[in-house]
Amino acid sequence: MFRPQAMEKVELIIPEREVVRTTEALAASGIFHHIPTTQTTTGMPARVSDEWQTWTADLMAVERRILLVMEELKINEGTPPLTPPHIIEPRVAERDIERLEHEAETPIRELEAARRRLLQLQKYVAQLTPIANLEIDLGTLRHLRYTFVMLGSIPVANIERLESSLEHIPFALITLRHEGHLATVVLFGLQQDAVALNRAARSAYLNPLPLPEDYRGTPAQAIAALQAGIERTRQHISEYETEIAHLQEMRIRHLRHLLWRVRASHALANTITGYDHLQHTYLVTGWVPKASHARLEQIIAQVSDKVVVETLEPRQEDSGHIPASLKNPSFLSGFQGLVTTYGQPNYDELDPTPLMALTFPLVFGLMFGDVGHGLLLLLVGLLLAGRRIKALRSAAGFGVVVALCGASAMVFGTLYGSIFGFEDVFRAVWFRPLEEITEILLFAIIVGVLLISAGIIYNITNAALNRHWGRMVFNRNGLAGLIFYWSLLGLGARAFGVAVPIPGAVLAIVGGLSGIGLTFAEFFEHLVEGHRPLIEDDVGTYLALAFFELFETLISLFSNTLSYVRMGAFAVAHGALSLVVFIIAEVIGARGSIGYWIVVILGNLFVIGFEGMIVGIQTLRLEYYELFSKFFSGGGIPFRPLSLIPKAGKLNAPENAGS
Amino acid sequence: MGRSTVTAYAQVNATTRALYATLLTPEVWHALIQAPSFDALLGQLDKTAYGAYLKLERQILTPRRTVYQLRWHLTQAYEKLIRLTPEPGRQLLIQLWRLYEVDNLKATLRGIETGASWDEVRRLLSPMFRYVTLTNDDIQRMLASGTIIRAIERIRHTPYYETLIHAVERYEAEKNLFPLEVALDLDYRRWLWQSIAGLKGMDHEQALRLVGTSIDVDNLLWAIRYRIYHHLSVQEIINYTLPFGYQVRDADIRAIAEGADITTVVKRIYPQLEGLEETAVPLKGETSPQQHQLATLERALYRHIGKLCRGTFLGDPFHIGIQLAYLMLLEYELRDLIAVVEAKASQLPVERLASIIDIEWR
Repeated sequence: MFRPQAMEKVELIIPEREVVRTTEALAASGIFHHIPTTQTTTGMPARVSDEWQTWTADLMAVERRILLVMEELKINEGTPPLTPPHIIEPRVAERDIERLEHEAETPIRELEAARRRLLQLQKYVAQLTPIANLEIDLGTLRHLRYTFVMLGSIPVANIERLESSLEHIPFALITLRHEGHLATVVLFGLQQDAVALNRAARSAYLNPLPLPEDYRGTPAQAIAALQAGIERTRQHISEYETEIAHLQEMRIRHLRHLLWRVRASHALANTITGYDHLQHTYLVTGWVPKASHARLEQIIAQVSDKVVVETLEPRQEDSGHIPASLKNPSFLSGFQGLVTTYGQPNYDELDPTPLMALTFPLVFGLMFGDVGHGLLLLLVGLLLAGRRIKALRSAAGFGVVVALCGASAMVFGTLYGSIFGFEDVFRAVWFRPLEEITEILLFAIIVGVLLISAGIIYNITNAALNRHWGRMVFNRNGLAGLIFYWSLLGLGARAFGVAVPIPGAVLAIVGGLSGIGLTFAEFFEHLVEGHRPLIEDDVGTYLALAFFELFETLISLFSNTLSYVRMGAFAVAHGALSLVVFIIAEVIGARGSIGYWIVVILGNLFVIGFEGMIVGIQTLRLEYYELFSKFFSGGGIPFRPLSLIPKAGKLNAPENAGS
Repeated sequence: MGRSTVTAYAQVNATTRALYATLLTPEVWHALIQAPSFDALLGQLDKTAYGAYLKLERQILTPRRTVYQLRWHLTQAYEKLIRLTPEPGRQLLIQLWRLYEVDNLKATLRGIETGASWDEVRRLLSPMFRYVTLTNDDIQRMLASGTIIRAIERIRHTPYYETLIHAVERYEAEKNLFPLEVALDLDYRRWLWQSIAGLKGMDHEQALRLVGTSIDVDNLLWAIRYRIYHHLSVQEIINYTLPFGYQVRDADIRAIAEGADITTVVKRIYPQLEGLEETAVPLKGETSPQQHQLATLERALYRHIGKLCRGTFLGDPFHIGIQLAYLMLLEYELRDLIAVVEAKASQLPVERLASIIDIEWR
C-alpha cells in the first residue's frame, strides 16, 4: 500500500507462428506492461516486420472508412467491448466495409442531393420575395436585349470591392436582403459590358441564381411554384431519412462490432510492430508484477509450449523506467486520482496516497468545521460513492473524498460547537474559533509543523529505500533538515516562554551542527555517496552559494510553516461567514419568520458551495505545494497493462516530431 | 509603458531572444548553399537548431520527409510563443499561425482532387496540433469523403466552412480549385487584419508595421501575378486582392491592374526599397524579363520585411513586435531552407541556388 508493487522484467521469445495468439493472451492477462524496444538483448538493431506495419496502415484506413459510414448513418461508436473481439485481417475488413459503403451510398447521396435541392429552392424563394409584388413576367428578364441583369448572392465583405472594380463601367448594384455573411443582390448594367460584368461578378464570388425555366410568370407565381417544389423535396427527404433510419437499425450492431474488431486488430498489429523481430522469432520485453509472474507463465504455457519466458535482471538503464503499479484499496481511488494529478509516483518512491487520505480530510475539516455542513457533504459523498446517480458514476472515487471531508468537518464542528452556522445549539467540546482566534491559529501552526515533519520523514524514507545515504542525512528535507527545523522550533518556543524539556544550549548546539550539515550539504552528500568532485564550482562561489542555501532553507521552512496559518484563518472565516448570514437574515425578517429562514437556508447553501470550494482548493494547495514538495518528485511511469481494446478515438493520436 | 506590460512580456521576450539567437547565420547559409549534395546538406543541418528534428534513420529522410521534419521547428516555436504571449497579442499570433492551417486545407483540397491518400498528403502538411480549428482527424475525414463538396461539409465546425461552401459553386462550375484557394487567402487576411485591429498602443503599432507590411507585400504580389501569369481583367484583379493595407493603397493595386509600370508603383510605395535595379537579364531557368522582374521584386520586398523584423529587436522590447518579428524571420528562413532542400534534391547548380537565396540581410 505504501510502495508500488514489486516488478519483474521479463522477456518472451515467441516463434513467428505463435505471435498473434501470445499477444492476445498477454493482452487478456492484464498483467503485462510492454516496452516497445529498439534494440534486442543481443545488441543487434531491431527489425520491424513490414507485414505488421502494412496491417497497421491498412487497418487505420479501414477504421476511418467505418467511422465515416457510421457518421453518415448517425451511429455512435458505442461502448468498448468487455473482452477483446476476434482479430480481423485488413482485406476481410476492407471487403466488409466496401459492402456496407455500397449499401449506404445510394440513399445518402440521394438525401444529400435532395437537401441541396431544398436549399437551392429556398434560396430562390428568398431572392424573389423582395420583388414578389412586381407584375413582371420573369421570362422577359431572362432575355433582355440591352440590359444586363444578374440576381445572386455575394459575401457582404465583397460588395464594396465589386463596386470598386466596376468604377469605369456603368452599373447599378442593388442589395435586396442580408442573410448572415451573405447578401442577395441584383446587378444591372449594359448588355455590351456583359463580359466585363460577368468576370467582375464571378471574381467577387457573386453566385448567380438562374431561375430554372420551369418557373414562369410573375414573381408571385414563381414563388408559389417554388413552394410546391419545396414541399415535394421535403417529402423526398423524409423518405430517404426513413430508408437511412431503417439501414441504421439493421447495421448498427454490425458496424460497431466491425469497428471494435478493426480497432483491436490495429492495436494488435501496432503492438507486434513494437516487438523486436529476429529471423523466425519475436523478442518481447516488458514488466510484470512479481506476484503475478507465475500466473503469466501459466497463461503463456496454455497458449504454447514453444514460447519461452525469461526473467531479466534489471539493468542500470532501467532505473527510472520501471512502471509503478499503485496498490491501494479501491475506496482510496479518489485520493490516488488527486495524487496522480500532481504526478505519477516513481517505482522507487513511497506512494503518497495513504498520507493524503489521512491529511486531506483532516486539513479540510479543520477549516470547514460545522456538523451540519459536514453532514451534507457526507451525504453527497456517500451518494456519489454509492453510484446511485448514473451520470455521476465516474465520480464515485471522488465521492469517498467528499464523504471523508464531510465526516472530518462534522468532527471539527463538534469540537467548535457549530451546526449550520448556529453556534448556540450545543456547547463547543473544545472552543469556538471565532472567540479564540489565537488558539486556533496556534493549533493550525502545530498541525502544519506535524505535516511538514511528516513530509520530511517521507523524504528520509524515500532516500533510505533508494540507498541515497547522503541525501537522507544532509538534504534540506533529510535528517539534518528535520533536526534543524525542530531545534529552531524548540528555541522559538522557549523564547515565547513555553516549557521545553531540552535545554536551550543543547538546542542551539544541535541546531548549529545540523545547520552546518545543511550549509555544506552538497559537499557531504558527494563525500558519502562517493561522487567526485566534491565541489562543482570554485571554493569562493561554493561558500557564497552555501550560505545563501542555508538562508533560503531557513526562509522556506519559516514560510512553509506560516502557510498553514491559513487553516486557522479559514476556520475563523467559516464562523464569520455564517455570522454574516444570520445578520442578513435578521435584517430581512424577524427571527423565526419565513424570510429569516429562507436567508438562513440560502446562506448555508452558499457557504457550503462557495466556501466549501475555496477550502477544497486551499487544502489541495497545502497538500501539493507545502507537503508533496518535501518528498514527492513524480514523473514516474504508470503501469499500463497491454490491452487490445483501445479507448475510443485513441488510434489516430497525433504523431510527435519523430525525433 | 506600464509595469504590467513589462511583466507580461518579460518571460516571452527572454524565450524569443533565446530562439532568435538560433536563427541561421549568413555563414551557415553559405555552407548550406555550398553543400555538394543532399546528404552533405543534412550533415550541415544537423549542426543547427533543425538538427533535433532530423534524428531519423537516413533512408527515411527523403527530401519530402526532411521538409516535413524541418517544419516542426516552426511548429514548436509558434506553439511555445503562443503559450507564453499575453492577451490580446496571443490572439494575433494564433491567427498568424493559422496561415499554415489554411495552407494545409489547400493541400488537402488538392489531395482530394487528385485522389491522394492520407499517407500521401500527410507529409505535405505543416505539423499543427495546438491552437488549430482543423485537426488531422478533420483532414483524414475530408480525404476519405472523396469529393470536394462532401469534404467541405465535413468541416462545418471550422471558420473555413462559410467561405468554402459559398465558393464551391464556382469550383463546381469551373472544376478548378483556384476560386476556393483565393477565397481562403482573402478571408484569412481579413481575419488577420481584424486581429491587428483588436490590439492597442505599441502592440497595434508594431503589428501593423510588421504583419501589415507582410499583408501589403502579399497583396502587391498577387496583383502582379494575376496580371503577368493569369492575364486577368482589371475587375478580376481588384476583386481578387484586398481593399485594405498598411502602406499599399487601393490606387496602387488599381494602377498595377490597369497596366502601370510595376517598378514605378512599387518605388512610390517603398521609396527606400533596395535591389530593384539589379540586372535585368533573366537568369537561367527564368523564361521572361517579366518573370525575372517579379523574382527580383519578391527578393527586394522580402529583404525589406526581413530588415524591418531585424530592426524590431533594437528598440523597446515590451510589445508583440518581438514575437512577430522572430516568427516572421523564422518563416522566411524555413521557406528558404525548403528551397535549398529541394534544390539539393534536384541537384540544382550551386550558383543558381545562390542567386535565389538572399542571405545579405540575415
